[in-house]
Amino acid sequence: MAAPLLEARDVSKRFGGVAALRHAQFSLRPGEVHALIGENGAGKSTLAKILAGSVKPDAGRILIDGQPAAIASPLDAQRLGIGIIYQELDLFPHLTVGENIVIGNLCFPEGRLTSPRNVDAFCRPFLEQAGLECGARRMAGSLSIGERQLLAIARALSMNARAILMDEPTSSLFDDAAERLFGLIRELKDRGVSIVYVSHKMDEIFRVCDRATVLRDGETVETVEVAATNAGEIIRLMVGRNLQIAARPYRRPLGEVVLEAHGLTSGKLKDVSFQLHRSEVLGVAGLVGSGRSELGAALFGLDRIRAGAIHLRGSPLQPASPRDAIRRGIGLLPEDRRLEGLMMRMSVIENSTLAVLARMQKLGFIRRRQEISALGPVVRQLALNCPSLASPAASLSGGNQQKVLLARWLLLDPDVFFLDDPTRGIDVGAKQDIYRIIDGLAAAGKGVMLVSSELPDLLRCCDRILVLSNGRLTAVYDAKEATQETIMASATSFGPHMRKPVKDAP
Amino acid sequence: MLDLLRRAQSLAALSGILVLAILISPVASDGSRIFLQPGNLTDILRQISLIGIIALAMTFVILTGGIDLSVGSLLAISTTLTAMALTRAWPHASYTSHILRAILASHILRAILAAVAVSTLAGAVNGAVISALRIQPFIVTLASMIGVRGLAKWLSSNENIDIGFGRDVAAEFAAVFRQKAIVIGSYACAAALFWILLARTVFGRHVRAIGDNEKAAEYAGLPIRGTKIWVYSLSGLLSGFAGVLYAAENHQGNPNAGVAYELDAIAAVVIGGTPLTGGKGSISGTIVGTLIMGVLTNMLRLKNVDSNVEMMIKAVIIVLAVAVQGRDSDK
Ligand SMILES: Nc1ncnc2c1ncn2[C@@H]1O[C@H](COP(=O)(O)OP(=O)(O)OP(=O)(O)O)[C@@H](O)[C@H]1O
Ligand SMILES: [Mg+2]
Repeated sequence: MAAPLLEARDVSKRFGGVAALRHAQFSLRPGEVHALIGENGAGKSTLAKILAGSVKPDAGRILIDGQPAAIASPLDAQRLGIGIIYQELDLFPHLTVGENIVIGNLCFPEGRLTSPRNVDAFCRPFLEQAGLECGARRMAGSLSIGERQLLAIARALSMNARAILMDEPTSSLFDDAAERLFGLIRELKDRGVSIVYVSHKMDEIFRVCDRATVLRDGETVETVEVAATNAGEIIRLMVGRNLQIAARPYRRPLGEVVLEAHGLTSGKLKDVSFQLHRSEVLGVAGLVGSGRSELGAALFGLDRIRAGAIHLRGSPLQPASPRDAIRRGIGLLPEDRRLEGLMMRMSVIENSTLAVLARMQKLGFIRRRQEISALGPVVRQLALNCPSLASPAASLSGGNQQKVLLARWLLLDPDVFFLDDPTRGIDVGAKQDIYRIIDGLAAAGKGVMLVSSELPDLLRCCDRILVLSNGRLTAVYDAKEATQETIMASATSFGPHMRKPVKDAP
Repeated sequence: MLDLLRRAQSLAALSGILVLAILISPVASDGSRIFLQPGNLTDILRQISLIGIIALAMTFVILTGGIDLSVGSLLAISTTLTAMALTRAWPHASYTSHILRAILASHILRAILAAVAVSTLAGAVNGAVISALRIQPFIVTLASMIGVRGLAKWLSSNENIDIGFGRDVAAEFAAVFRQKAIVIGSYACAAALFWILLARTVFGRHVRAIGDNEKAAEYAGLPIRGTKIWVYSLSGLLSGFAGVLYAAENHQGNPNAGVAYELDAIAAVVIGGTPLTGGKGSISGTIVGTLIMGVLTNMLRLKNVDSNVEMMIKAVIIVLAVAVQGRDSDK
């Protein structure tokens, strides 16, 4: 057997008191798709970053083609043919899509001007392959998070790498875009490119990966042939025990209507009407750019409402700002935890209590003891794994950052929750915890709207599912009757497929 | 952890400079080191007090990711107004009896309040324009730095308003407010208050959150506009108060006072570990930063170093301090 293309031997890395990696072993064969899996905080991103030169290991060796390699910087890695798609999508928001691709890109012909025309010509094929349907001249900051993910993919493709590390590349992609990525992965593989694939989505692992290396607490547990194992086995390796997948909860009787939208129209939405009941989990499905996040933005006072009406607990609601919406009892968990959610330099505890400080103060002074005691149960409920509550959010793994954000809204405890992809980047075990929490919210009489890129999860969690396409509501399904296929069909259709209410002639 | 390290760094820098200052200090005739004489040490504290006070509020401004270039002009308008109120409104009265002294105190108090109120208001306007019109703080405060300076010069017809040494209100005011104990005490009180404000209150938490990630702060429903208006008002308030102390110390209201103070204040904040991008920093850091600048100046002056050379040395110190902090602040 040929020498592995990329190999990590006995790699260790500590961040302060936390051992992110302990003698981790990893080896990538030429032309294989190799999954890297493990719970939140297991060290997957750290290993990927070490291989890509953006984090320096404390100990251990990296070998390329069997030869010891010095990868001291991302540029070194690029020179050695290693590309990476970071989990946290570090793009330059004030540069255009094209500029984001060519900046620091060794494959962009040197000496060529970065004139928009040259950049366009260079980027077009990669944008097409990645399926990002926007000009190369658009500002990266104006892309949705799903589109940013596609941009990161295009950038990695453009580097002509021999090995591409993909850290949760589909965490914000809806099925069609993910599907395209799988096609792309197969193509790359045929060309002999190796891929490291980090994901929490089991079905993806089984569809695209050849082998899988499981990390637990920074140690390599085992590397397995994917064809010779099953999801249960992999999950057992990941968490070290058997995992109970929570069954779909029995149907609760719905309460009164808590939120009602009628003919809601904003910049993106067109004439959207729905009702949300207490004790109901209402799913929102749609492709990237279908308006599912904009629905939250309209309800939360972020987008101006152009026409239509919203009623909250029976009284009209015209939220002028998120602050206003929160005061009225709507909470929105934003899709992009880095841009819209967390204060990265502030501690876990400060991040969690930010929206509820008014309840934890006396004469403007924060009551720290109350802060800690309020957070305790939520931290346990979420199984938050962090060095300490005083450590900055930036030092947490992606999934645990997501949990901190969720903690903020659980503490606020509004009447209506709009959860925009709350399980983004969350491991299989923790995902069950979050779904249990959502069930609990519904049982407590809250109205919950749940956006997710993962249809199986919507089907499991929701009572009803709204499907949006191009800003319009195209269908409303009872979750018991819907299937992934019917939802996909409605999500890709552009006309209203909803049965028109029968109008009785007076 | 990182926080501790960084604070330890600037403390280490301060101790280093202190040791150096002691070592190279000239020796007095009785064999003691002049740098260590109580008179000299309190002189240092008095000299840094004005910039120190301004730097406290500047820390808040920079924490929100903003900047306040107008502090020097705000100091000038306040110092001018203080002197004008004391010399023009109550010019020649001299006070001796107890009752009259009470009247005197109330005159002085009103003059101070008026001056500080005007600069606070100007700060509030800065904040309101920045948050309502969404113009960059640099531009807005640059404009008010120019405009307010103009106002101060116009009000005083571009003349210094001298406070005499007689027995009138103005002179009494100066006699009280130029005492070392009052100046240093004011700085100490302001520092304590602002430390508590940042570390213990909801307002302080909001300030840091907005600087760390303003968009996320909006999503979390924080009062962004209100917080910014308060922050710039506080900057006006402290600059105004520094202006009052300036009038007493220099025995005059000088519309040209405080030029380039904003730069010294910003330098103190930055040396103290608050990056200009905001989100991270502390009042204790700013105090250490202010002390570093003060001790350095004193040390060089005691050695009779040319003031131009002094500026060059300070320039190096600023860059060094930030370079050292910059390294561990990225990831
Ligand atoms: N910059 C940092 N500073 C301090 N600790 C860090 C830093 N980056 C990662 N860690 C810690 O290292 C451990 C591994 O983190 P890593 O991001 O590699 O996890 P992960 O497996 O990618 O998790 P996830 O699935 O949540 O993305 C975590 O405990 C995390 O808190
Ligand atoms: Mg990760």
